[in-house]
Amino acid sequence: MSDTVAPKSFGDKLQSLPRTWLFLILLLAASVPLFVPIALPNAPSQSSEDFFANVMSLKAGDKVLVASDWTKSTRGESGGECEALLRMLIRKKIKIAMYSSGDPQAPQVFRDTIGEIAKDELDHGEAPYQQFQDYVVCGYFPNAEGTALGINNNLRGVFAGKKDSPPNGSPQDIFNSPVFQGVNSVSDFKYLIMITASNTERVTFERVKKTPLMFMVTGVMTPEDNVYYLSGQLKGLIGGVKGVFDLEQMMEKGLNVPGGVSAPRFGPVPGFPGKHNVGRGTSYYFALHACLALLILAIFAGNLGVWLSRRGARS
Amino acid sequence: MLHLLLDLDPPTFFNGDNGSPALILKIVLAFLVGIGLIFALMAAPLRLRRFIVVAVTFLSGLYYFLLWFFPAPISRGPTDAPNGPLESFSFLIADAVPSVVNVSNILSAVLIGLGIYSLLRIHLGRIVKQQKDWAFSLVLVVSLFTVAFFGYWDWIIRQGPTGGSLGAVPNDKWSFPLYAKDFFFEGFLQQMDSAMFSLIAFYILSAAYRAFRARSVEATILLLSALIVILASMGLIQSNWDNTIDATHIGFLKNIRLEDMRTWLNGTMQAASIRGLDFGVGVGLLAMALRLWLSLEPLGRES
Repeated sequence: MSDTVAPKSFGDKLQSLPRTWLFLILLLAASVPLFVPIALPNAPSQSSEDFFANVMSLKAGDKVLVASDWTKSTRGESGGECEALLRMLIRKKIKIAMYSSGDPQAPQVFRDTIGEIAKDELDHGEAPYQQFQDYVVCGYFPNAEGTALGINNNLRGVFAGKKDSPPNGSPQDIFNSPVFQGVNSVSDFKYLIMITASNTERVTFERVKKTPLMFMVTGVMTPEDNVYYLSGQLKGLIGGVKGVFDLEQMMEKGLNVPGGVSAPRFGPVPGFPGKHNVGRGTSYYFALHACLALLILAIFAGNLGVWLSRRGARS
Repeated sequence: MLHLLLDLDPPTFFNGDNGSPALILKIVLAFLVGIGLIFALMAAPLRLRRFIVVAVTFLSGLYYFLLWFFPAPISRGPTDAPNGPLESFSFLIADAVPSVVNVSNILSAVLIGLGIYSLLRIHLGRIVKQQKDWAFSLVLVVSLFTVAFFGYWDWIIRQGPTGGSLGAVPNDKWSFPLYAKDFFFEGFLQQMDSAMFSLIAFYILSAAYRAFRARSVEATILLLSALIVILASMGLIQSNWDNTIDATHIGFLKNIRLEDMRTWLNGTMQAASIRGLDFGVGVGLLAMALRLWLSLEPLGRES
């Protein structure tokens, strides 16, 4: 018996590329594009267009309930979604009541994010957007199912006793905030917008029926939630980095306005041209392209290896 | 509105003004009574314990069952009085929602505390006995207490008379505890959270490279579908491909526009499959819920 090992064929090598190299290339594909600002073409999805048009239809002083159930583990997607949404709501002077039932860290993450965005918008010429006056953080509710049910049936009962701080003072009952003036039921909010990276979106649309829902979810959650968008249960859906880029693009160009995104289903919906609309979506879209291209190439290489090996074995 | 014990205004023995020392004392006492009840339950005879668990499970499930199926009051005003015993009962079920939600939230919060207790029991034991990798346990326990300590210090300052003016982002009004909390929460915890989640990308690439092989007809269909969806998500490829097809003005080629193929795959194939799966899961969950509610699960009987 010979103890020499036959050299690997090219097909075999393609099927067993070293993982270290794959990971190194992925690292470069994910990070280098972040330093190369390239304007990529994009066609926003219908669900993103609906989301944008619905938010832009809100009037100054309208109120929305925001369920923020994300933390920095998904900041690439959820962070971008939250920031784009907050920029739109702040510019349109919409009042926000926020709660979380997904993660104990989520209220603090939301506080930090809205604090940063409000300061950035103020620095770019927008009116001050202040805690308690314009937005309140109702806190964390550990039981998502019960909380969603309670929000649908008796919003004030569920949020009773919660406090938040006005700009220059000690914490007060959130019902003293202008955000809750005239709000007796969840139906007094124009939308419940949920930014989530967990199953709380499912818990919510199974229970909250009295106000329209719109979701901002991660890329892997999009196919599941798309089912409910297609059935009309969701009025808008933003999914992953692509969804954030859709939103930022529409914020810059608008819908059905000269030079804007064409969507015959809507009338003209102007965006916020010239303002600070570039965010994580625009920054990360090229990196997403590079990573997806690498994924396709890796799969192609593996399959080419299988084909070459089979051909070699036959011959 | 019917007022339940927790909602009574002015407060009675069963509730208190929000944030008042009396309420905090009552919460502490209720917590101690709750722990006492747990120990009493553990000491009770097996038959009695089983009866209590089954009864509490059934009554809890019964409330939600009635909430869904008992006719709810329609267009009820805040001063409306119930008309007859049936409507009175439906008012009671509806009015109990906030109290039930509070109880369920408190129970879930206690579970978080139980998790911390369990974590400490295991890791403190490992540190005391200096078992293998005890240093990691030490890091865990020190981190837990450090973040909690600065978190509460920050919280207490923000509850003060100048709490509202401190702002969410660092500024010249911030003092050491606020910076320390921000450093540990934003600088450490959130960044590590982010780093952990990022690792998934490497495993996805590795798994896709090794598993996505066209070894059968089904695998090839799956591979091609995935390829179309991925390519359609890449604006650069999708817009160039679709624009090229649009420019040819050949009607047949419109069928292979990436955006249209992706929309068809998502809306027709994928949505239908997910709906089917959801129906199956839903029916399974219903059966499971019934078994749990009626304590038919073997574990329920054995306990």
